[in-house]
Amino acid sequence: MTDARPLSDVKILDFMWVMAGPASTRILADYGATIVRIESPTRIDTARTLQPFHGNALGPDSSGLFANCNAGKFGISIDLGNPAARDLVFDLVRWADVVTESFSPKAMRAWGYDYESIRKVKPDIIMLSSCLMGQTGPLAKIAGFGNMAAAIAGFHNLTGWPDQPPAGPFGAYTDYVAPRFTAMALIAALDHHRRTGEGQYIDQSQAECAIHFLAPAILDYTANGRVAGRVGNADYEFAPHGVYPAAGEDRWVAIACRHDDDWRRLCSAIGREDLARDARYSSAAQRREHRAALDSAIAAWSKSRDPVEAETILQARGVPAHQVQNSAETYRDPQLLHRGHFVDLDHPTLGKFTVEGPRAKLSRTPAEVRRAAPTLGQHNQYVLEEILKYDEAKITELATAGVLG
Amino acid sequence: MSVLSPYRVLDLATERGLLCGQLLGDMGADVIKVEPPGGSSARSIGPFFNDQPHPDRSLYWWAYNRSKRSITLDLEREQGRDIFRRLAARADFLIESDNPGYLAERGLAFPDLSAINPRLIYASITAFGQDGPKASYADSDLIIMAAGGPLILAGDENRPPVRLSVPQAYLHACADTAVAMLAANHERVRTGLGQYIDVAAQQSVGMATQSYILAAALGSSEARRMAGGIKFGPLDIQLVWPAKDGYVAMTMLFGSALGVFTRRFMHYLCEQGFCDEATRDKDWIQYGEMLFDGSEPISEFERIKEIARTFTRSHTKDELLQLSVERGLLITPVTTIDEVVESTQLESRNYFQNVEHPELGASFRYPGPFVKFGATPIEYRRRPPTVGEHNREIYEAELGFSPREVSELKQKGII
Repeated sequence: MTDARPLSDVKILDFMWVMAGPASTRILADYGATIVRIESPTRIDTARTLQPFHGNALGPDSSGLFANCNAGKFGISIDLGNPAARDLVFDLVRWADVVTESFSPKAMRAWGYDYESIRKVKPDIIMLSSCLMGQTGPLAKIAGFGNMAAAIAGFHNLTGWPDQPPAGPFGAYTDYVAPRFTAMALIAALDHHRRTGEGQYIDQSQAECAIHFLAPAILDYTANGRVAGRVGNADYEFAPHGVYPAAGEDRWVAIACRHDDDWRRLCSAIGREDLARDARYSSAAQRREHRAALDSAIAAWSKSRDPVEAETILQARGVPAHQVQNSAETYRDPQLLHRGHFVDLDHPTLGKFTVEGPRAKLSRTPAEVRRAAPTLGQHNQYVLEEILKYDEAKITELATAGVLG
Repeated sequence: MSVLSPYRVLDLATERGLLCGQLLGDMGADVIKVEPPGGSSARSIGPFFNDQPHPDRSLYWWAYNRSKRSITLDLEREQGRDIFRRLAARADFLIESDNPGYLAERGLAFPDLSAINPRLIYASITAFGQDGPKASYADSDLIIMAAGGPLILAGDENRPPVRLSVPQAYLHACADTAVAMLAANHERVRTGLGQYIDVAAQQSVGMATQSYILAAALGSSEARRMAGGIKFGPLDIQLVWPAKDGYVAMTMLFGSALGVFTRRFMHYLCEQGFCDEATRDKDWIQYGEMLFDGSEPISEFERIKEIARTFTRSHTKDELLQLSVERGLLITPVTTIDEVVESTQLESRNYFQNVEHPELGASFRYPGPFVKFGATPIEYRRRPPTVGEHNREIYEAELGFSPREVSELKQKGII
C-alpha cells in the first residue's frame, strides 16, 4: 500500500537526542518521513529519564517525553565511538536524504561524522546541526538544556512577578520553539535539492531561532531603548487581563478583555454594571492603571465559582475566558477530543501508550502517527536487513564487533 | 539563491497569524500582505516607535511583517473580492487567521478558491480550530495558554499561574502552520494538488508542556508549579539561582546523563572551599534514587542546594557563564533584553540584522536569520511594509490595471 502522506518519499538519518532535536523529526515522521533514529547502546538518551512516566514508574521505555518525541521512528542502537561502526553509519548516510544531529559542536567531528566527512560519502546530503548556541562563537561549546537556552535568550526574565525572582516558563522553553524551525528548514532545503540537485549544511542555534518569539520586546529595545521586565499576567494592551481564583484547590480561570465591549460584557456577567458606568474605567489605559481594584472585583466573583462554570458564563457573553487546565482537564477537554489531540499507540512492552497527535490538519493527505517510540535497538534487525539489505554474516560481524551494543 | 524563491504567498492573516508568512518570506518566498483599506488591525498594537501610535510605527507590526509586500484591498465589497480571486488564481499559498466562517461568508473559503486554483495550499490559523465545541470561543493569548496546558505549569507556588509576558500562543501555531504548508508543498510536487490546512493554537501550545499534557493519560502525577524550578515528587528541583548581579539558570540533576555535570560542579565547589569532600563525593548518578528511597534525606538535598546558592550568589552572571564554558558546567545567565541584543555570542555570529527604514531615516536591529543555511542563506530583503506600499507595483505591473483604473479603485475605497 502506498503511503499518501506528504513526506513519504523522504529518508532521514537522525542522530538527535534529548528533546529539541527529536521533537523536530517527530513532526516529520507524522508527515510520513522514514526516520532511522540512532541511540547509543551505552549512554542512555536523557529524554528516557524524564517525566512524566507511564504508570508513574521509572523505566527505560516509560518516559512520556521520550515517547512523545520519538513516535513513528525506527530505532537502531549504534556505538558511534566504535570504529567498526563506520561502514554501517556511512551506508545509512548513502540511504538518507537528510542527516540531523543535536550534539554539542565537535562531537560529530570527534567520531568522524561531521559534514565534511559525510559529504564525501554523499555530496548532495542535507545535514542540519542543532545545538543551544550554534556551531560557532565563544559559547558554541556550551552543552545543556532548553531551560539554559531560554534563560540566555531572554525568556526567563519576562516570566513571573516584578517583586519576585523570575519564575521562568515551565521547563526547557526553547525545546518547544526550535523543533518547528528545524522542520521547516529541512523541508525547504529538500525543495531546493529537488529543484537544483544541491544539498547543504544548516547550522541551527536553538537560542537564535527562539528569539523570534520575543521580537516585539527586542524591537522595543533596539528602536526605543526600553528594557521589558516581569509584569505577572498584565498585558500591554488588554485590561482587565489575568488569572483569577476559582473554587477548589489550585483552580483558576483566565480572563482577558480585548476592548471596551468585552469590559462591559464582563461587568454585566459578574453583576457589576456599576463598574462599566464608572468613568474611571472607561478606557483600557485607565483600566490598566486601576488594575488592582478591578482584579479584586473580578476575583470576588470568581473565587466561589467552579472554573468551568465561570468560563461558560463569560464565553456565553463573548468574553475571552477559560479554565486554566491541568493535564487531566486537557485530557477530557471536548475541543481537544474533537481534534483528536491524544493518540493511543500499541507499545511493544507497555501496552497502550498515549502521545500527542499531529497539530495541523491537512485535508487531503493528513499527518498521522503510526507507531510508538522505539525501545532501545528495537529495529536493529529491520534496518540492517530491510533497509540496508545486509546478509546474516554481516549482521553477525557487526554484533560481534560490539557495534550494536 | 533563496530557498523558497519560486513561491508566492497571499497573507490575509490578522494579528494572530503574521509570523507564518514572515517565515516563508525570510526564506525567499514572495509574500503579499493583503490589508483592508487603512491597514491591518495589527498596526494598532503597541509598543510603537518613539511611543507614537501610527500604523507604520507599530513594533508589533515590524516584528512579524518583514519580507512582505503590502497591498490594500476591501474584501467586504464584491469588486475587491474579484480582484482577490485574480491574485489567488496565481498564488501557491494562502494564509488566513480570521474567525471560522468569516471568509466563507465572503465566498473566499478553501473550496471557493480551490475551484479557481486547484494547486492552492490554503492554511487557517485559529485559537481552537475550524469546528468543534469551542471553535467559536472568544480568545486571546492568555486564554489559549490556559486551555492548552502550559499556563498551569508556570509561576510561583503561592500565586496564580503566570504566562510569558510577550504573547506566545499564536507564534507556536504560526510555526506549526509554516511546517505544514511546506509539507503540503512537498506533496503537491507529486500530485499537482493543493489542500486545506487547519491549525489550532490550543494544540500547538501543548508542545510547551514538555509532554506533561500526557500525565493524566499515562497515569502519572500532575506537575506542581514552582517558581524557577520543577517539582519532582517530593523534590523541589531548582533551575533558577541567584547571582551577584541577577540570576542564572543552572541544571543540577542526577542520573547517568545529568549526574556527571553535577559531580563536576560539586568538585569545583569543593576546590573553592564551599563544601567538604564527603559532600563532594556523594553518588550524583544515583542521587535521585537515593532521595526517592529515603536513603538520603531531603533535608540533606536542601543543604546542598543552599551551598550551591551561596556559591552562585558570590559570582556575577558573566563569571558563572565563563566558568560554565571553561569547566563544562550547566550554567547560563538569565538575561535581560538589552543583554540579549548586546550578546558577544550573537555578535560573533552576526545575528542581529540592521534593517533600513528609509521612511524614518533610520535603521534598526532585528532578530536575525532563524537558521544559517549553507547554500541558500536567509537575507532580509524588505523591511516591514507601510500601508499599501506596493499597491501600484502589484495592481499595475502584475494585474495589468492602468494608472487611471488604480486611481478609480482608490477613489471608490476598494484599495
